[in-house]
Amino acid sequence: MFDDLRVSAFLATRSIQRGGRGRNAMYIIIIALVLTNMIFLPSVIMGAMDVYYVQTVDYISSDVIIKPPEDVRYIDDVETLLATVNRMSGVVRASARYPMAGSIDFEDKTVAMEIDAFDPRDETEVTKFHKHMKYGDFLGSGDRDQIIVGSLVAGAKDDTGEFYASLGGATVGDSVVVRYANGVVREYRIKGIFNTKSYQADYMVFVTKDEMDAVTGSGGARATEVLVKTVSAEDAQPVKKRILEFGVGEDVETWEEALPDVVSESVESFAIINTISVLGSLVIAVVLIFIMTTIKTFNNRKQIGILKAIGLKKSIIINSYVMQVIFICLIGAIVGSLLIGTMVLYFTTYPIEFPDGDVTPLVTWAMIIENTALLFISSAIAGFIPAWRVTNEGILEAIRGG
Amino acid sequence: MDEYIRAEDLRKLYTMGTVEVRAINGVSFSVRKGEFVGITGSSGSGKSTLLHMLALLDPPTEGTITIADRDVISLSEAEKGIFRLSRFGFIFQDYALVPELTAEENVSLVAMARGEEAGSYSRRSRKLLGQVGLGERVAHLPSELSGGEQQRVAIARALINTPEILFADEPCANLDSTNSRAVLDLFREINQRMNLTVIMVSHEDWHMEYFDRVIRLRDGKIEEDFQPEIPDATASP
Repeated sequence: MFDDLRVSAFLATRSIQRGGRGRNAMYIIIIALVLTNMIFLPSVIMGAMDVYYVQTVDYISSDVIIKPPEDVRYIDDVETLLATVNRMSGVVRASARYPMAGSIDFEDKTVAMEIDAFDPRDETEVTKFHKHMKYGDFLGSGDRDQIIVGSLVAGAKDDTGEFYASLGGATVGDSVVVRYANGVVREYRIKGIFNTKSYQADYMVFVTKDEMDAVTGSGGARATEVLVKTVSAEDAQPVKKRILEFGVGEDVETWEEALPDVVSESVESFAIINTISVLGSLVIAVVLIFIMTTIKTFNNRKQIGILKAIGLKKSIIINSYVMQVIFICLIGAIVGSLLIGTMVLYFTTYPIEFPDGDVTPLVTWAMIIENTALLFISSAIAGFIPAWRVTNEGILEAIRGG
Repeated sequence: MDEYIRAEDLRKLYTMGTVEVRAINGVSFSVRKGEFVGITGSSGSGKSTLLHMLALLDPPTEGTITIADRDVISLSEAEKGIFRLSRFGFIFQDYALVPELTAEENVSLVAMARGEEAGSYSRRSRKLLGQVGLGERVAHLPSELSGGEQQRVAIARALINTPEILFADEPCANLDSTNSRAVLDLFREINQRMNLTVIMVSHEDWHMEYFDRVIRLRDGKIEEDFQPEIPDATASP
């Protein structure tokens, strides 16, 4: 067995060394491009999903989110809940959100939306809005007549082509009138405009919790959710468990659990697209290797017949062709991996601009290994079949046919 | 008589469409060890078919072949392969060398396939190539060698496993008369020096001077089985 493999390896090595270098180089380049194609699109999709996940944690739900139970609108005794959660190990800070429906008027524009409130001191430790103030400043404790708005809410003077209704180019320092659902009307100065590149986050507006207390009147503002920032992403589950163990009556979810169903459906759709893309690339690789080996074995029919006549085993001849294919795939995979690495490096420096943020392709070793293994297996089969067919021919038929 | 190869009532039937062709039709003969046998005949007489059957490349439709008292027709394909590798040497008319291998590597390949150690077959390959006059050409690829040189590499390849029988199917068909004579001289020398049984197919009358014995076929049957006359030393092809 080992001796047979040694002979196969010898024939394969010499064939690669001395037979058609230009042709082999072309096959290697094609295999490299096939591997790149197999990995690049999924990596961009994974990168886009990662951006969405990061944005969800940074702006929408943080690591853990506490909501009132179904059919209940507000969290009961949010102050006690905040104090309890803030004392737990693994928790950086908890921040409550106090929303109220309303509308914002600016010049001739009116935008109906939810006005949210938070304690700015808590919020800066839980979300990252304060780090993405495009203009002006973040809210400070005690701010009462000021509001910060997302860049999509502020909009632009020329709002043609904008998908969302906006204030038509409101800027820092402009006054807007907010009409709350409870009938209270307040005039605010825009203190800052944030731009997170998240559609969801940039279509939000915030006032301070103190201001919302005043708007709500007796009893103060009531929270509909509490966002909990954990020390690390891995702490989300343990922190959730601790909160539940404490006996809170609210629903507690990690950010992943809180993702809307549409996201998991999107992930499934992307997985299907990835699979189709990978299968398409594999088909190209298989067809290429099949044609390559068919041409090579067909051209060498006579030689294969003679080698069999001399007494070389069929397996030696077949393995020599399969080894050549594997070698070409190996070099192709190395070149492809380098190509992917270069592309990732480039797109890390110059990310792809997606509507929901700047996307950097996300390539993992698992992706490379899995796709390379798929490519190897498919190519080995594609190389084996024509070699097996020719070596199974009768010796004289092969010799005469060549 | 010391029978080394025994062919008994060999028949080979081909069907071409609805027509049955009897390529070999009841051939029986035996060959002694160390004999240099030429199989001759006109085109289509069945000489190559007979050689292929003796060399276990093509099974007969009927009949038996015994080599060294062993019924070789009943061997499996794998066993036939081992038999060919260990006991036979082959030379074909168009050399059929592996184009990516040097002369030495082409010769060594067969020994390598038998599982020999690299040092052993490498030395023997060079020695054999030296004996066929290619000592200086061991590192050359087939494309860098002339037709005669390639055929001599094929001869060295056929001899590397010290075969008991050398089968040659019109080995001079693609060679000019000078190279043909060189190859046949080599066959004769090997035959005599190594007591190697040689069975060679030829359609050239002047080759007969090299054979111990000639089996002439006609329409798939033995027309003549004779010992050719020793030629006049001054005669030339």
